[in-house]
Amino acid sequence: MARAAPFRVQILPVVLLAMGSVFALMEPRFVSAENLTNVARQLSVLAILACGQLFAIVSGGIDLSPGSIIGLVSVVSTLMIVEHGIAPGIAAGVGMGGLLGVVNGAMVAGLRIPPMIATLGMLYFARGAAFALTGGMPVERVPQAFALLGKGSVGPLPVPAVIAGAVFLASHVVLARLRIGRYILAVGAGEESARLAGIPTRFCKAAAYVLAGFLAGLAGVVLSARMGSGQPAIGEGLEFESIAAAVLGGAKLGGGEGRVLGTVFGVLFLALLGNGLNLVRVSSFTQMLVIGAVLIVAIVADRLRQGWR
Amino acid sequence: MAVRGGARLWGLPLVALLLCLVFGLMDPRFASLSNAQNILRQSSILLVVALAQTFVILSGGLDLSIGSVIGVANVLGAMVAVAHGFLPGVLTMLAVGAACGAVNGGLVALFRVSPLIVTLGMLSLARGAALIITDGMTVGGLPKTFVALGWETLGPIPVIAILAAAGFLFGWVLLGRTVAGRYWYHIGGNEEAARLSGVPVRHYKLLAFLMSGALAGLAALLHTARSASGHPLAGVGLELSSIAASVLGGISLRGGEGRPVGVLFGVLIFAILGNGLTLLGFSSYLQLMIMGAIFIAAVWLDLRSQPPA
Repeated sequence: MARAAPFRVQILPVVLLAMGSVFALMEPRFVSAENLTNVARQLSVLAILACGQLFAIVSGGIDLSPGSIIGLVSVVSTLMIVEHGIAPGIAAGVGMGGLLGVVNGAMVAGLRIPPMIATLGMLYFARGAAFALTGGMPVERVPQAFALLGKGSVGPLPVPAVIAGAVFLASHVVLARLRIGRYILAVGAGEESARLAGIPTRFCKAAAYVLAGFLAGLAGVVLSARMGSGQPAIGEGLEFESIAAAVLGGAKLGGGEGRVLGTVFGVLFLALLGNGLNLVRVSSFTQMLVIGAVLIVAIVADRLRQGWR
Repeated sequence: MAVRGGARLWGLPLVALLLCLVFGLMDPRFASLSNAQNILRQSSILLVVALAQTFVILSGGLDLSIGSVIGVANVLGAMVAVAHGFLPGVLTMLAVGAACGAVNGGLVALFRVSPLIVTLGMLSLARGAALIITDGMTVGGLPKTFVALGWETLGPIPVIAILAAAGFLFGWVLLGRTVAGRYWYHIGGNEEAARLSGVPVRHYKLLAFLMSGALAGLAALLHTARSASGHPLAGVGLELSSIAASVLGGISLRGGEGRPVGVLFGVLIFAILGNGLTLLGFSSYLQLMIMGAIFIAAVWLDLRSQPPA
C-alpha cells in the first residue's frame, strides 16, 4: 500500500495531456465545451463500474459479472418504473445490483468459490434472467422524467457525470480513509496475515463484492436512463472494460494495491482516447485495435521500467 | 503434477450419463441417432477451444483472447481460401492462430506480465483486426470442401466431430504423455520450483500459448465449416465458455491440476444440457440461467469434496 504507484499511473496525467493536445490540434472541436460535456456523459457508466471493479480487484479477486448485472438491473428497474413509478424503480435497480453483489460475496467469501468462477456463473445467470424476464424484448414506455437522470444537466454538468463524481469521491473515502477500505486492501495483500492480525477477512471480501454489485446496479440505472428504456442485452463487454480501466489506473491483479485516483485516470484515458479517435474519424474497429495495443504497451512499459531500476 | 482423481473422474461421466437418462426418458427424440450427431456437432468447437484454454490454464495462465483469435483466423483463412483454395486457407487459419498465441506467450514469458492483461489486450486487438480486415462484412463464396467438412458424416459420425477428436487426441497425448506435458503441469503447479529444478520455464510458457493459439486456429476451421463463411464476429464469448467448460472438467484455475479427459466430459455435459433443455422447450434465456447455476454448484461440490489444502 505504501509503495509508489506503478510507472503507468505516474505518467498517465502526462499521457492524457499529450493525447488531449494532439486531438485538439487535429480537431478543434475536441476541446469544445459541447464535446467535453459529451465525454463526461459517456464515461460516467464506465466510471461507476470501474470503482466497483477496483474494490473486487484490490480485495484479491475479480468481478466478471457487472456487465450482466447491468442488463438485469436495466430490465428490473424499468419494469418497476412502468408499474410503480420512478423512485421505486431506481431503488429496485440499485437494490437488485446490491443483492447480486451479496450473492457474489457469499459465494466467494462464504463458500470459498474462486472469484473468477463465482462471478462467471453470475455473468451467465444474470444475463439469462434479464432476457427471461422480458422474453428478450426491451422495456418501452418509460416516463420521460426518468430519462432526465441520464440526459439532464445540473448547471453545466451532465447528471450522470455528477453521479460518477460522487461515486469517485465516496469510493476514495471508503478505500483510503475508512477502516473497511484499509481492511479490504490488507486482505488482498495477504489473506492469512490479515486474518492473523484480527481482520474479519470473510466479511471484508464479501463487502468488496457487495460494493461492486451495488455500483453495477447504479451504473445499470444510469445507463437505462440514458437510453430511455430497459434493455436486457446492454452492458455486454463492460466487465472487460472496467478491468482494463482499473488496471491501467494501477490496480494490481491479485490484490492489495490500487487507488481510486488511478482508476479515475484509467477511465479518463479510455474515454478520451475513444472520443478523440471518433472525432478524427477513426473507425470503431480501429479503435478496438488501438485500445488493445495500448493496454499491452502500458503493462509492458511498466515492467520494462521496473527492470531498468 | 498432482493429478486429481477420485470423485471428479467418476463424477463427470456419471453426471453425463444421468443427464442422458433423464432427457431420454422425458423426450424420446433425445435418444435418436440424428440427435446424437447434433450433440457431437454442437460440442466439437467448444471441445477444441476448451482444450486450447486447458493448455494455458494448466501452465499457470489464462487466455481471454481465444474468441477474438478465432475471429481473426476465421476471416483471414476464409479470404485466403476464396483466393487460393481450401488447403492454403486451412493452413492460414492454423498459422494465424499460432502467431497470435506466440505474441501472447512471448509477452507473458519475456516480460513476465500478467497473462490476464496481455490476453485482454489481445481480445480487443484481434477482434478489431478481424473487423478492419473485412470492414465488418461476412466473407462468402468459400470452396465447397468447407461445407462438406461441416455437414458430411463418416459412417454415423460427423466429420467435424472427427476433426475435433483428432485435436483432442493431439492435446491429450501432448499433455499426458510427453516431457513437455509434464513440464507444463510442473510450471503451473509451482513455477519457482520448476525453474529451480531446471525446467526452461519461459520457453515452455511460450509454447503453451503457441499450442493454445494453434488449437484456436483449428477451432476457426471448424467454425468456418459449420457456417460456410468467414465472419469477423466468430467466436465472441468463447473465451468465457471455454473457461467454464475446462473448470467444470476439473482444471484448476491455479494451474497444474486436472486432466484433459475431464475437459471432454465438461464440454459434453454443457452440450447435452443445452440440447436436452432445448428439446424440452426451455428458452435459450432460461438455459443460460440454469447453466450458470449448475456451473457454480458443480464447482462448489467439487471443492467441498476435496481435502483442505
